[in-house]
Amino acid sequence: MDKKQHYISGLRAGAPVILGFVPVGIAYAIMAQQAGLGILETILMSITVFAGASQIMAVGMYAQGASLFAIILATFILNLRHLIMSTCVINRIKQSSLAMKLLLAFGVTDESFAIFSMQVDKQATAWFFLGLVTITYAAWVAGAIIGTIVTQFLPAIVTASLGIALYALFLGLLMPGVKRNLRLGILVILTAAINLILSKIIPSSWALIVSALLGAGIGVFFVELEDTQEQEEERHE
Amino acid sequence: MNSEVLLLILGMALVTYIPRALPALLINKLKFSRRMEKFLQLIPYTAMAALIFPGILTVDSEFWWIGACGGVAAIVMAWNKLPLAFTVVGSVVVVMCIYLIL
Repeated sequence: MDKKQHYISGLRAGAPVILGFVPVGIAYAIMAQQAGLGILETILMSITVFAGASQIMAVGMYAQGASLFAIILATFILNLRHLIMSTCVINRIKQSSLAMKLLLAFGVTDESFAIFSMQVDKQATAWFFLGLVTITYAAWVAGAIIGTIVTQFLPAIVTASLGIALYALFLGLLMPGVKRNLRLGILVILTAAINLILSKIIPSSWALIVSALLGAGIGVFFVELEDTQEQEEERHE
Repeated sequence: MNSEVLLLILGMALVTYIPRALPALLINKLKFSRRMEKFLQLIPYTAMAALIFPGILTVDSEFWWIGACGGVAAIVMAWNKLPLAFTVVGSVVVVMCIYLIL
């Protein structure tokens, strides 16, 4: 297959992600506007950050008056996981130029990583991943643009009820993993309890950061996870 | 544009891109111990747990149970494998109904 065909099959493989990214992108944009971000700022964040959960977390923290440093640190911690995903992706496109790798690295998300991991070696090329990134990125930015337009027309009762959307989104992201893994569920509840206690002692944005790190540190000792990197390597070497 | 928000966006963009780009720059030099890998994989779960609780109880500044109801609705929908967008919209609708009744 040539580059163009790989690119097109990457676009196709990423198409189902549109259904997830556009609505969540819209939800993010509505929350960002409610937090006081302007239209351009809302869209600019989606263009430059391209990481859904952290953007929603950031606008939530911003609305609560957290310091810039706390928000940026929380973003860094939440997005550190991309280090592993990007390592797996880059390992499969070793022959590409550095510029191409640096471009594609920007498009590593939970979803693009998951889809790329499922491809057989012949299919898992840089151009395929570029197609995947193109469609997922376009869906994410389009969601933000639609969200800034939709916000203008929302009735007051809807806007008042939107506070729950952020939490519903996080619960929706958590449940599939927790349902499969009892110990992970216990860790999630334990972390929530730690955060409840810490947020009585220190500002809530710092409680969040400390609880997340502490929870993950404790979880290392008793939660079993399906491996990503090593499974990957076994499968492809 | 607000310069504080611009600084925030710039900072977030930078700290999000660094972990993504590092493997491209340090190819074959990045090796994670199993423990480190597990730690990094667990962070999204623990971060989301901390993001949800106890913040969800402050969705309404007066009644904590409104947020709790929306949360239970979201858990039930997600547990039954409804799509993410449906879960979000569904729990917003539940909270909206509560406001309509109150």
